[in-house]
Amino acid sequence: MARRLRSALTIAGVALGVAVLFASLSAGSTMDAAVDRAATDEMGHAALRVQALEERGLSQEALSVVKRAAGVEVAAPALERKTYLAASPNQTPSSTLPAPVTVLGIDPVAEPLLHDMPLSGGRLLIATDAQDALITQTMASQERLRLGDTVTVSGASSGPQAFTIVGIVAGDGSLPDAAGRLVIVPLASAQALFDSTGVTRVDLGTPPGVSADELISQLEVMITTEPYLLQKTSDTADSLRAETADFRGTLLLVAAVVLFAGAFLVFNTLSMTVAERMREVGLLRAAGTTRPQVMSFVLLQALVLGAVGSVVGVAAGIGLAVLTLLWVGSTGPVALNGPEISLGPVLLAMIIGVVVTLAASLEPAWRAGRISPVEALRRGPAGAVAGARLRWLALVFGVLALAALAVWPKSSASAAEARGSGGLTVDSAMWGPLVLYGLLLAAVLIVPRVLRPLLRLVGIPFRVFRNEERLARSSLARDTSRTALTAGALVIGLAMVVALGTAVQNVRQIGATWLTETIPGSELLTSIRPISATDPIRDQIAVLPGVKSVSPIGLFGVPLAGLRQQAAAIVGKDFADDGRLTFVADGGDRAAALAALDAGGAVIVPQSLANESAIRLGDTLTFTTGETPTRLRVVGIVAHSIPGDAQESILVGWSDALGPFGASGADFFAVRYEAGQESSARAAVDATASQYALEPADLGRVRGTVGDALDRVFRLLDALALTAVLVAGLGMVNTLSMSVFERAREIGVLRAAGMSSRQVWGMVVIEAGVLGIAGSLMGAVVGLLVGGSLVAWSIGSLALAFDPPWTSIALAVLAGVLISVTASIYPAGIASRQSIVRALQHE
Amino acid sequence: MPTQPPVSSPSEARSPGAAPARPERDGTILEARNLTKRYRLGKREVDALQDVSLKVRRGEFVALMGPSGSGKSTLLHLLGGLDRPTSGEVVLDGEVVSHLSDRDATRLRREKTGFVFQFFNLIPLLDVYENVALPFTIAGIDPRHGEAAARIKDVLELVDLVGRERNRPDQLSAGEQQRVALARALVAQPAILLADEPTGNLDYATGGEILDGLWRSCDERGQTIVLVTHDARAAAYADRVLVVGDGKIRDEIELGRRAEHDARPLIMRLALLGL
Repeated sequence: MARRLRSALTIAGVALGVAVLFASLSAGSTMDAAVDRAATDEMGHAALRVQALEERGLSQEALSVVKRAAGVEVAAPALERKTYLAASPNQTPSSTLPAPVTVLGIDPVAEPLLHDMPLSGGRLLIATDAQDALITQTMASQERLRLGDTVTVSGASSGPQAFTIVGIVAGDGSLPDAAGRLVIVPLASAQALFDSTGVTRVDLGTPPGVSADELISQLEVMITTEPYLLQKTSDTADSLRAETADFRGTLLLVAAVVLFAGAFLVFNTLSMTVAERMREVGLLRAAGTTRPQVMSFVLLQALVLGAVGSVVGVAAGIGLAVLTLLWVGSTGPVALNGPEISLGPVLLAMIIGVVVTLAASLEPAWRAGRISPVEALRRGPAGAVAGARLRWLALVFGVLALAALAVWPKSSASAAEARGSGGLTVDSAMWGPLVLYGLLLAAVLIVPRVLRPLLRLVGIPFRVFRNEERLARSSLARDTSRTALTAGALVIGLAMVVALGTAVQNVRQIGATWLTETIPGSELLTSIRPISATDPIRDQIAVLPGVKSVSPIGLFGVPLAGLRQQAAAIVGKDFADDGRLTFVADGGDRAAALAALDAGGAVIVPQSLANESAIRLGDTLTFTTGETPTRLRVVGIVAHSIPGDAQESILVGWSDALGPFGASGADFFAVRYEAGQESSARAAVDATASQYALEPADLGRVRGTVGDALDRVFRLLDALALTAVLVAGLGMVNTLSMSVFERAREIGVLRAAGMSSRQVWGMVVIEAGVLGIAGSLMGAVVGLLVGGSLVAWSIGSLALAFDPPWTSIALAVLAGVLISVTASIYPAGIASRQSIVRALQHE
Repeated sequence: MPTQPPVSSPSEARSPGAAPARPERDGTILEARNLTKRYRLGKREVDALQDVSLKVRRGEFVALMGPSGSGKSTLLHLLGGLDRPTSGEVVLDGEVVSHLSDRDATRLRREKTGFVFQFFNLIPLLDVYENVALPFTIAGIDPRHGEAAARIKDVLELVDLVGRERNRPDQLSAGEQQRVALARALVAQPAILLADEPTGNLDYATGGEILDGLWRSCDERGQTIVLVTHDARAAAYADRVLVVGDGKIRDEIELGRRAEHDARPLIMRLALLGL
């Protein structure tokens, strides 16, 4: 019974580890597939995309140069703008803005050659179409539009224009950013609608034999008059993948920790089996069985446990993967479908499951091989894991960790590239897991050294139950190796939970402080298209009672050293007055720098970029804008800057933004209210904003949204890390059952001496409680250390004062203790219920 | 929870401190009436004991003797309330113990019985003193002070382990370990001491030490003892020997209280019985 239970628990432990691993791998490959699909959707059959960097887009001249380039077979220009559907006369006015739509102006002839547009009804656009449009199926159902209906979209100065729906594109269409609300019209009509002569991008198709790289080198020489970005499908996929890399890396890390905890279980179980079968092994050895044969028995048992556990684990992992993907829903811009079950992850998870089980069984197998027949027959079953070599186990896992890092998914490399992304994500690239793993290993090695005094300390409150506490402690001290292994699993599981909690707390805090530090206002009014400097909106809001300041902020891309860099146009004076932006030491004079920004010719860079690109105060940055490059002097370095799409923005003055950088206006306004008047003034501001299609967002809400998204991801990781604690719980059941089994006769004697079944029950539960508290406390300490290092390492200089989430940590410790105590209920029941006579006869 | 800790138990052999008064010899302290114990072995039913009746007087030293599988240990377990008979009853110190609830049986064991087994089963991480003190700690009594401490000192003297209190079981010889087990069984001054093959795991000389200890506790302190053994040398310490075979009491041999424990008369009697 005891053996069957032990095997079942071990299989469950391995299975849980493999399940989390498989879910991680599967979620990873699903994300990969989704990313590839998104990249293909976006790029279609184009070999290369020429993307405009400036708001006004690529000019007609640039477009004709591109079309002339040798090797260009098809050039499909397009103009993409966000706007709103014009309100229909019967629509009731409301203060909340409707969801925006994306208008995509295309070349009706070239576009279908590069982008598949499967229709669910109607036809594609043709060259002669002017006021005709395609819409997506999603939008058709959202807006209840049908073929032949009219869709009216708001434009620039020309006002709204109506288009007749001639075709419906299946599904969401191919623009991930549009979230399914896409209206496709002829390019000329779109340009007329938005008063534009440019195009957002040109997709290029090449004949077979012409590579994208050849085209790139050609275009780089040909277009020199305006800034642009060249993008291959692989680039798109890479940049999308980089956004998911951190999450995937952390998922794998958590899986590694759960497996690690599972390995403890395997090691413990096999050690117990070896100890228990000492006499049997002695007999076999006496009968002429060789050492390698004895070892192979143990390894075979491990193989069976590992194989069964892995199969069960993969099955459970499929379910877990479905849940994981459902919970995450999407990562960044990429929507996720159900898990992709391919043979690769299935095999990989199973192989890793079996290899880890075998690795954990090597030491017990070796020990079994060393059993001397005479000794074994004379002594019989002896101290279970006496002499279990914890260090040996740690070494095995050190080697395994290195091996795992060698095959760490390539996403880590891109994650490392994405490190400049500003610290809003916990970086878990190459070094993260290694450091974490190292710390966990070190912690495991320390466990046996601190366990005994800690058990004594933790036992103090239990002294109320004098007898039970003393017996429980003596039972824990009986086999320190086994106790240490059992606690070790709990320690690493809980350490992981606490470390993740600490990291997310810090990230959350940084996110919160970041916005407060860089935005000169408590409310943001966001526009889906840039609002020009001459637009009266700003003044109209600024004069509203209770409004202190309205500061326009524009976001755009600038070409710096061949890369697209995020830039933000700000009014320096507003930031100076509002006390925003923290200048780093030697980061320049605040007042002077902000004044210089307004004067033009100056730039303030975030510290992350300054460190990455070795930019110093006083340097001149050269931006490759058109024929004449723009040179701006670095007048300040700030700790945090305005967050952009994927990185912190460099800050420029409006004169430079509108001039050489071609920005067309503000993307949002930061509104600061007079002290104490926010609540009264808000309604008027929001109403005015709404009239101009500006969406108001409270800074707290923005912060909350960022925090909630983070929480969602971290809660998932926490839940998975808790699996490690659960595995530790299984280990606890295992150890306590074994301990009860081993002490059966002793318990029988205690019962004969008058110990009640309740006292026996209490003894086992206290044993688990003491071990659970000790393990959880150690786990919390290790977790804080690991979390602290994680934060310090991944966020570096951005780290604020270390402020761990004490409540969550206390809850995690409580969970650890509860799981331990729950784990003891079954063995305690067995101990208290067993027949005294049978216990006394137990061998 | 302990209703009556052993120290305050109103048993007549329990006056603290000094050696207890010698009890009357004629009063029955333990009686088995028509005990039957039936086990299921697969589909078969096996009678380990069949209709066994016996009486043990206060202060008496009784040996249950018989070959392996004769039912003597089963009988001992029933007498000590460790197991329940299929039918019949056991009366210990005026209390019917054979059909008590688990809770009451636990109380009974704590207050009225002491056990010594073949395997000493000491708690390895507790020292000699703590092992001997277990019946007190189980009852929630601090064994370091007062009467409990005095009793522990007393039994340690009886089994000749004074000075070894701080030793752990693994630092003791097998005989010493069994003496600790004996002290543990005697410390609460139980109404009856039940010993199941206490010398079965010991060599000749050490076994003799244990038997001497048992006999002394009986002779000097009036401890009632029921000893299960298949060894005539051990049985020869008893006042009376009940020969158990095939689940029944086959014979009764009255040896009487003797200062020397020569086994030869018993062996001769057994030989006459064809055992």
